[in-house]
Amino acid sequence: MRFSRIKITAAAAGLAVAVAAAPGSLSADSLDDATIPAKDVADMLHAVMESDRTVYTRLVVNRLQNEEQVIKASEFFHDDKALPLPAQMFRFGSEMVADKTDKFFYSLLSLWPINKQNAPTTDVEKEGLEAVADDPDEPFYAEEELGGQKYLTAVYADVAVAGACVSCHNAHKDTPRDDFELDDTMGGVVIRIPIDG
Amino acid sequence: MSLKRNAALWILWLGLTLAGGGALAAIVYVGGDRDLFLIGDTTGAHHQIEVACDACHTSETFADAETIQKDMNKACLSCHADELDVANDSHPVKKFRDPRNFRRREALDALYCTTCHAEHVPEETRVGAVTLPMDYCMACHQDVFENRPSHQGSDFTTCASAGCHNFHDNVALYEDFLVKHADMPDFAAHPVIGFSARSRATPVADALASDDARAQMIAYLKTLGEDDDDAAEEADERLAAVLTADDALAPAPYLTAGAVAEWAGSKHALGGVNCAGCHAPEAAADDFAAIEAEWIAEPGMDTCVSCHKREVGSFREGKHGMRFHPELPDPREAPENTLLAALTAMFRDAPLGPMPVAEARLPMKPDAMGRAAGTCTACHAPHESNLAFAAVEACASCHDDDHTRAYFTSPHFRLWEAEMAGTGAPGTGVSCGDCHMPKVELQRGNFFVTHNQNAYLRPNEKMIRPVCLSCHGLGFAIDALADPELVENNFNGRPSAHVPSIDWAVSRTQRRQ
Repeated sequence: MRFSRIKITAAAAGLAVAVAAAPGSLSADSLDDATIPAKDVADMLHAVMESDRTVYTRLVVNRLQNEEQVIKASEFFHDDKALPLPAQMFRFGSEMVADKTDKFFYSLLSLWPINKQNAPTTDVEKEGLEAVADDPDEPFYAEEELGGQKYLTAVYADVAVAGACVSCHNAHKDTPRDDFELDDTMGGVVIRIPIDG
Repeated sequence: MSLKRNAALWILWLGLTLAGGGALAAIVYVGGDRDLFLIGDTTGAHHQIEVACDACHTSETFADAETIQKDMNKACLSCHADELDVANDSHPVKKFRDPRNFRRREALDALYCTTCHAEHVPEETRVGAVTLPMDYCMACHQDVFENRPSHQGSDFTTCASAGCHNFHDNVALYEDFLVKHADMPDFAAHPVIGFSARSRATPVADALASDDARAQMIAYLKTLGEDDDDAAEEADERLAAVLTADDALAPAPYLTAGAVAEWAGSKHALGGVNCAGCHAPEAAADDFAAIEAEWIAEPGMDTCVSCHKREVGSFREGKHGMRFHPELPDPREAPENTLLAALTAMFRDAPLGPMPVAEARLPMKPDAMGRAAGTCTACHAPHESNLAFAAVEACASCHDDDHTRAYFTSPHFRLWEAEMAGTGAPGTGVSCGDCHMPKVELQRGNFFVTHNQNAYLRPNEKMIRPVCLSCHGLGFAIDALADPELVENNFNGRPSAHVPSIDWAVSRTQRRQ
């Protein structure tokens, strides 16, 4: 399936510039004319999201809560004077991005969501989450139309990278699944980029 | 003859039409009272500012519907953003921006405040200024009966019933909070509102009245968590700042014995604030000539705010001071064009000014009708050293509803009387202010007295955390606040109904375990 090439968005500009700076990675007369396939933009965005999320999970939450036992992470971090959970950190970032731009959207969904609002709501989301659950190494891409706008929807496996992910999810009273193990796919990061018709 | 008369009538009609149209256009675009353009009564608080149309209607003429809605959001948030932040808003707009929620938006377009809170439609306005049918939760939460078997048998019109769920503020109602506080007794063994105790404390006056002021002051500061060195240093600073009647510095006509005596007993004098601190704030403290020249006989909110920023800020967000909210537009200025200015001279905006008690929608006392809210001194009499007046008597001097009248026969008032009489421990009394203008916790154990009387009132579950839980169990508080008759008679009795939310939450948690 071929996807539209999109102009570099302001939100992805930082990433794009970094990629463009690498010799031979992009060819364009000027930055304004440079284009990157939407799929590649999604991959780049995901690379940043996944890395930040992994760093927060391993170096902040898992280290301070499980290894050094300095502070806990809690869903109710305000009341509990605790760290936000990695999934909350991710979601807060997503909501802040939505405040700043409508050039891309992302969310963390699961076939086994603790919060039922994070279950798939479109056919593409469901298909994508099932695909990355079956093959976590292979992202899923599709085009879908929501509310009259076409999007590239990319789904990436969200894998349990630390013990904290597994222990919290398995123990949560609302989890529909309590047999997760380290490196299991627990859900998926869904990135949507509006594309021209 | 007939033709002449017809022509005259036509000319008269044309002239009156032009004059009328011109007058209306002048009111819309230049200035003047815009009452006649109100298309329906505004909601409870907004009626105070309803003639300042451009406080809410900020869009350009002929803007499209989406722009108008977005602009309206900004206008709403210019006054209500902090409130939503404190509430840890359960449904912030940003949650609905994601395209995956487009079907939810089709059912309930929660991107816009006006979807749920339309104005000027009193016939459709429900509790909480909601103008949607009360089953709006159904738009997104149709799976609730599957995920929460306890909710089966309920219907969506009861989700937002008192004590269950709120669209925005659930800080005292979310499931884990309910479970965590499920076992609290109805009444605490030693009920004290901690911040009220601190707020009513007079440590400097107490220290000065003791045998060893420094030692007493240090001891007090150590109870606040300060270490020995810091407490000693601060005690010295505080005691050195104390001013007495002999220190009063004011122009002779104002240096009356009564005013000086009142000031000398106030926290201002004990805190080192001399007369000029309020009456000539720009003058140097030792420059008597400047103090005399710049003397302000009746300092207003602009002076108070220089030290009491949070109090004044919150006051301007509540019903008492909202006409002075900084985000409200100034009165429209006269046209720069001289001819236009002359033609429209009779069309000028009047400043909103303080809210007259007579215009209140709540029942007020007849003898308060000539007064106005909206100034600090309306409740805090100048030089008044006793803040207890502002906490009870000031409120009751205007308000005349059942809840206010019943307060004076309530258990809360009896506790208040005891504390004021010295037979009750500090913080055990419950004044009007303790509930409606509670002390709000800041970082590192500090607090301030919010002067937004509405911040913890609508919905009244907001009051649970900062107020009720100091003395009551969560279940008792939820039940009490959900009982309108008990609220009306100011908690003279016990709740007559029970909200099962804690039972359901505990039951679900136990089942899961």
